[in-house]
Amino acid sequence: MSLIALASTLVFIAVSVGISIWQKLGLERDILYGTIRSAIQLLAVGFVLQYIFGTQHVLLIVLILAVMIAVATWHAGKRGKGLKRIYLYVGLTITMTEVVTMGLLLALSIIPFTARYVIPISGMTIGNAMVVSSLFLNQMKREAVTSRGEVETLLSLGASPRQAIHRMLNRSARFSMIPTIDGMKTVGLVQLPGMMTGMIVAGASPLEAVRYQILIMFAFASSAALTSILLALMSYRLWFGKLGQFTRSDT
Amino acid sequence: MIDSVLSFANLSKTISAVSNRIIFAQIAGTVLAGEKIVFVGPSGQGKSTLLRILGLLDEADSGEMVLLGRPLHQWDPQAWRMNVCYVSQTPVMLEGTVEDNLRTVSRLHHAEYDPSYAAHLLSSVGLEEMGLSKEASTLSGGEKQRVALVRSLLLRPKLLLLDEITSSLDDVSKYAVERLITDINRQEGTGYVWISHDRDQAARIGEKVWSLSNGTLSEGGVSCL
Repeated sequence: MSLIALASTLVFIAVSVGISIWQKLGLERDILYGTIRSAIQLLAVGFVLQYIFGTQHVLLIVLILAVMIAVATWHAGKRGKGLKRIYLYVGLTITMTEVVTMGLLLALSIIPFTARYVIPISGMTIGNAMVVSSLFLNQMKREAVTSRGEVETLLSLGASPRQAIHRMLNRSARFSMIPTIDGMKTVGLVQLPGMMTGMIVAGASPLEAVRYQILIMFAFASSAALTSILLALMSYRLWFGKLGQFTRSDT
Repeated sequence: MIDSVLSFANLSKTISAVSNRIIFAQIAGTVLAGEKIVFVGPSGQGKSTLLRILGLLDEADSGEMVLLGRPLHQWDPQAWRMNVCYVSQTPVMLEGTVEDNLRTVSRLHHAEYDPSYAAHLLSSVGLEEMGLSKEASTLSGGEKQRVALVRSLLLRPKLLLLDEITSSLDDVSKYAVERLITDINRQEGTGYVWISHDRDQAARIGEKVWSLSNGTLSEGGVSCL
């Protein structure tokens, strides 16, 4: 794509800013901020990846993955604001999900250990784990209000905190996995996923693109399940005080 | 001498959300074995909060609590709650049928479920016709309140903390519940602290009165009602 063609894509931003001004949505600043930020971020990432793909240095790959995990942890952890040590648990969860997913992909020789494969696929895995963690924590916060009676009833009947919160964890885990599972059901019928679209536009054959998309979808299914279950197991204690009483998340 | 089941001293609680309002400060009390205590006082004075603290559903800011001769820190909270069971005035039915709800205690503690005892308790509170396979969420308010009580009684705690448990009941059911609780008290020595705003009921069920107002707890006989 030529630089002139790339610059021409700003017409889409002009459309959204125009609509925002016309309908008084007040989103112009956010749209412009988002435009500048995404352009800078993506261009910077492009240069970094170009450099890493050239050197193939393992430490650099690890460093890039660490940065991705840190940013994902920061964003997902914000959803659990008020819960002590939530950033630690979200970070551990995302790291473990990435290690298991990437470990399986490499151990089964599904992808080779090169930056060209490891970094983009890790990015998608970590991104998905971030979304699942955010959804899980959001739902837990909602449940902490609506299911308070259920948890306290079980506690008063002598349940352990784990027993008392079991159904609430289940519901939140299920909720956090719905987008991934729905995505699997409708992929290709409703929309062509970004990665596949990118590969096709860049010249790969649709059949080759589909193979990688299948890999990603299946890896997402396992990473979503891993993320929600790991986060549930690691974080459920945070909803209880030292006497095992159910506490509000903001206390 | 009758042993103390539960005692507390210097218990204080403040609600930080509402400009640090002190609910009660430095209060003390004792429940002897098998004692029948009726807990009275104006609404919003912290009666429920005190019972929730004694049932370990809430935490006091400071103070000591002793159960069966052992201070709180020597107890596993779960074991404490099995001895001191709080029954809420707003009954919450767990997912599933009435029977699923009644089986909760045995399921949680891997203990055998005693269907005849459950049936006896249900009929004692006027629910002998209750279909066990009925979805618990479809019960009326009064039915839920009684099923929730029976569910707690199946735990066979040493002390019951009853928070206005007859508030949704008609007179017939209310008397049935009172009779059941006092029967269990006589037969099994299960003591209770029962919050009630009904003076006649208080006189029927209480031997001793706790009264909480303006942040202090006072104890007295039923003659003070």
